[in-house]
Amino acid sequence: MERFFKYSLTILISMLAAGEFFQVIMRYILEIPVMGLEEILVYPTLWLYFLGSVNASREDTQIKANVLDVFINSDRAKLIVRVFADLMGVIVSFWFTYWSWDYFRYALKVWKESPTLYIPTFYAECSFFIGLLLMTTFALIYLIRNIGKLLEFEKIEKFEQVEQGA
Amino acid sequence: MDIVTISLISLGILVVLLSFGVPLPYCFGGALMFMCSFGGGTMKGTMAWGFSQLANPVLLCIPLFVFAGAIMSESGIANSLLRFVNVFVGRFRGGLGVVATLSCAIIGAISGSGLTGVAATGPLLIPEMEGKGYPRGYATALVANSSILGLLIPPSVTMILYGWVTDTSILACFLATLGPGLLITALFCIVNLVIARKFPLILDPPKTVKETAKEGVKHTSRALPAMIMPVIILGGIYGGIMTPTEAAAVAVVYGIPVGFLIYKGLTMDAFLNAAKNSATAVGSIMVMIIFSLMLSQIFVMEDVPQALVEGIFAITTNKVLLLIIINFLLFFVGMIVNDSTSIILMGPLLLPLMNAIGISPVQFAAIMGVNTAMGGVTPPYASILYFGMRIGNAEFRDVIKPAMILIGVGYIPVVFLTSFWPNLSLYFPSLFGY
Amino acid sequence: QAKTLKVSHVRPQDTAIDKDLRWFAEKLEEMSGGNLKAKIYPSSSLGDFTVVQERISLGAIDMACQPAASAADKRFQLAYFPYMLKNWVQAKKNYGVDGPLRKVVADLYAEQNIQLLAVYPVYFGGIALNREPASPGDPNAAKGIKLRVPPLKTFQLLADNTGYLGTPIPFSDAFTAVQTGVVDGVIGSGAEGYYASFKDVTKYYIPSNTHFEVWFLIVNKEYFDGLGDDLKKQFSDTASQFEDHRWTTAEKDQAANEKRLADYGAKIVPITDEQIATIEEKIHKTVWPAVLEDVGKEWGQSILGSIVK
Ligand code: NA
Ligand code: NA
Repeated sequence: MERFFKYSLTILISMLAAGEFFQVIMRYILEIPVMGLEEILVYPTLWLYFLGSVNASREDTQIKANVLDVFINSDRAKLIVRVFADLMGVIVSFWFTYWSWDYFRYALKVWKESPTLYIPTFYAECSFFIGLLLMTTFALIYLIRNIGKLLEFEKIEKFEQVEQGA
Repeated sequence: MDIVTISLISLGILVVLLSFGVPLPYCFGGALMFMCSFGGGTMKGTMAWGFSQLANPVLLCIPLFVFAGAIMSESGIANSLLRFVNVFVGRFRGGLGVVATLSCAIIGAISGSGLTGVAATGPLLIPEMEGKGYPRGYATALVANSSILGLLIPPSVTMILYGWVTDTSILACFLATLGPGLLITALFCIVNLVIARKFPLILDPPKTVKETAKEGVKHTSRALPAMIMPVIILGGIYGGIMTPTEAAAVAVVYGIPVGFLIYKGLTMDAFLNAAKNSATAVGSIMVMIIFSLMLSQIFVMEDVPQALVEGIFAITTNKVLLLIIINFLLFFVGMIVNDSTSIILMGPLLLPLMNAIGISPVQFAAIMGVNTAMGGVTPPYASILYFGMRIGNAEFRDVIKPAMILIGVGYIPVVFLTSFWPNLSLYFPSLFGY
Repeated sequence: QAKTLKVSHVRPQDTAIDKDLRWFAEKLEEMSGGNLKAKIYPSSSLGDFTVVQERISLGAIDMACQPAASAADKRFQLAYFPYMLKNWVQAKKNYGVDGPLRKVVADLYAEQNIQLLAVYPVYFGGIALNREPASPGDPNAAKGIKLRVPPLKTFQLLADNTGYLGTPIPFSDAFTAVQTGVVDGVIGSGAEGYYASFKDVTKYYIPSNTHFEVWFLIVNKEYFDGLGDDLKKQFSDTASQFEDHRWTTAEKDQAANEKRLADYGAKIVPITDEQIATIEEKIHKTVWPAVLEDVGKEWGQSILGSIVK
C-alpha cells in the first residue's frame, strides 16, 4: 500500500511539473506553444488532489485543529473525544460519498468532453467518488480501531477497579 | 428561522467539529450537511461546481510550489542557501525569523495566492528555525502569517477580481495593497525580533566584517548552484518568460539534477518521499478547500452575505463607525467564505456606500485586500494557517497562540490604518498617476 | 408562495447585461402580478458558464444569460465559428426570431433539458494588444506576436491562421502575463470584455470582427414546461421584450465600449472591410474544415449552408 501511494503520487506530481516545464520550453525557446496541455493536466491534477487526500486519511495525517486538546489531560477523555471525532468524520464522509456517487452517475450519463482535445472529463470527475469512497473506508477503519482501543481501555480500568476493590 | 440564524448555527457546527479534532474537510462538510438539511441548500449540481473549482488552473501553482519546496529542502539546495544566509544573520537574535518573513514576502510577490509562500518556504524554513531554537509552533505561525503577503504584494488574484467587479484599474489595485503589505512585513520583522528574545536560540559567535566577508566568499561557491534557483524563478517571471506556475515547475526540474548530482542530498528514496509527502499535503488541503468552497457556495445561493449587509447598513451613518463596522463585517464574511468569493460579493455591494462616505475605490481595494488576506489565517476558515500546520508538521494548540499574537500586532493595526489613513494605500498608486 | 428564480450571468454588477437582466426581473414580476420573481447573480458567482449550464439542466439553478457551453455537446461550438457573420443586420437575420442559427441553438439546448428564451447579441470580437500591431489586415503575414487564447479550439486555430502565435494561458494568469510580456495581447473577446479585464494593458485594439459573440437567456426546461399557459406566455413575452431591446442597443453598445477603451488610452487600429474579407476567406478555408470535422461535417455543413446572407 505504501509503495502504491509512493509511486502513484510521485508520478502524478511529476507529470504536472513536466507538463508545465514542457510548455515553457516550447513557448519561450521553440516558440510553438502547446495547445490543450492545460486540459490534459486537469486529469493528473484531480487525481493528485484526491489520492493525496486518501493517503492523508490512510496515514491519519489529515489536518486537524483540535482545540479541545488544549484543555484535556486524561488519556481516556482524549480517546473518547477521538472516537467522537472519528464518528462525525465517518458520518460526514459517508454523506459526501453518497453525493459524489450521485455525481459519478451523472458524469457517466452526460459524458462531457474537454474543450479542444475532446478527452472525456469523466476520467477526472470520477476521482471525486473513488477518492471519497477510499477516504470513508480509511476513516471507518480508524473509527473501529479507536473504538477497540477505548473498549480495551474500559476493560483495563474495570479490571483495575476490581483489583483495588479486592 | 431566518437564513442568518441558520448560517450562524452551521458556523457553530463547524467550530464544534473543529474543536473535537475532526479532520478539516469533514468540519466544513458537517456545516454543509446542516445547510443542505435545514438551510434550503442543495447538493444537486454542487459537486459539478466543486469540480470546476478544483480544475481551475489558478490552483495549479500550489502543488508545484510545494513540490519545489520539498525538493529544495531534501536536495541540500535549501541547506546551502540557508548556510549562506546564516553567515550574515546567524549571529543576530531573531535574524532567521526576519529571513523567513522576507522570503515569504518575496515568494508571495511573484505569485498571486496566499498559499505559495508556505508551500515554497515552509519545508525549508520551519525545520531550520526549529533547529536554531525557535518553537515549531511559532515558526509555523510566522511563515503562515507572512505567506499572506502574497495577496498584498502584487500581483494578486484577489485584486484582479476586485478591479473586475468594481471597474477599477487593476494596476492601481495592485499598488494600493503594496503600502499595507510593506508595513505588515516591517511589523512582522520587528515583532519577531522582540519575541525571539525569549527563545533559547542557538547563535553564532560575533564576527568582524572581514570575517563575515571571508566566510561569505567561502560559502558562495558552495551555494552558487542553489542561488541560481531563486534567480530562475524571479528572473523568469519578471523577465516575461513564464507565469508563476510555470516558474515553480522549472524550479522542480532544475532542482532534481542539482539535488542528485551536485549536492547529492537527493536519493531515489528521498525523491519518492518528497513527492509523496508533497502530494499528501496538497491533497489534504485541496479537499478541505473544496469542501469549504462548496459551503460558501451554498451561503452565496442562499444570499447570506447580502442578508448580513442589509442588517448592518441600518445602524449608522457616522463615517468612523461605518468603517469599523465594515471591517468587522469583512472579517465576519471572511469566516464563512474564501477571499475570492468575499471580494466578488462584497466589493460591489459595499462600494456605493464607500463612495458616499468619501472612500475612493482604490483605497477600498486595499481595505478589502487586507481584510480578505487576514481571513486566510483567522479560524474557522484559515486555510493558510492550516496548510502551514500540515507543511510544518505542527499542532493547532502550538500554532494558535503565536498566530494570534502576529495577527494582533501585525494585521489588526494595519487593517485600521488602511481604513483611516488614506495615504497608506493611495501613495503608491498616486506615484503612477492613479 | 412565489418561487424566486436564480439568474446567473458572467459580468459584474451595473454592466449592460446586469442592468438588462434587472429590467427583465422587474418586468417579469410586474407582468405576472408577483407570481414570477427573479434574483440576479452577477460575476459568475454561481460558477463559470459551463458549470452554470450544467446546473440549469439539473434544475439547481433556474436561469442564466451567458454563452453556450460546449462541454456536454461540442456542436454548440457552431454558435461561435469565426467569421461566420459579417454585420449586425446579418446577425439579426440569423439569430433573431425565426433565424436558422437560433433554431439550431434552441434544439441543442432542448437536448440538455434547457429552454431557450431569448438571444442576447453582445459584440463582434477583436484583438487587444499591448504592443504595436504588425500588418493587422494581412492574415498571411507572420507577426511574431504572442496572443493569449482561451481554451477553445476555434480561437486557437484562428490565432494561428492569422499569423499570430496562439498561446494558451489560464485566464487567472492572463492579466499578469500580458503585463510582464509573457504574451503580447489577447484574442477571444471584444471591446467590452477587454475593457472590463484588460484595460490597463490594452494599448491597441484591432476591431477585426473575429467572431460574433452572442449569449442566450435560458431556463430549466422542466420548470418552464410545468408553468401554466398564462405564466408561460408572460415569461416568453418578457423575454422577447428583453431581446428586442438588446437588438436595438447592441451596436451602439459596442461602439461605446470601443470609445471607452480609446478614452482609457488604447489606440483603435483601423481595419478596412476588404482586409476583413481577406481574413474571412482564409479562415473559411483553414479553420472551418477543422472545426466542422469536430461538430460533424454533414450536420455542420447543412447549417452553414442555411445561413442567411
Ligand atoms: Na503576489
Ligand atoms: Na478566516
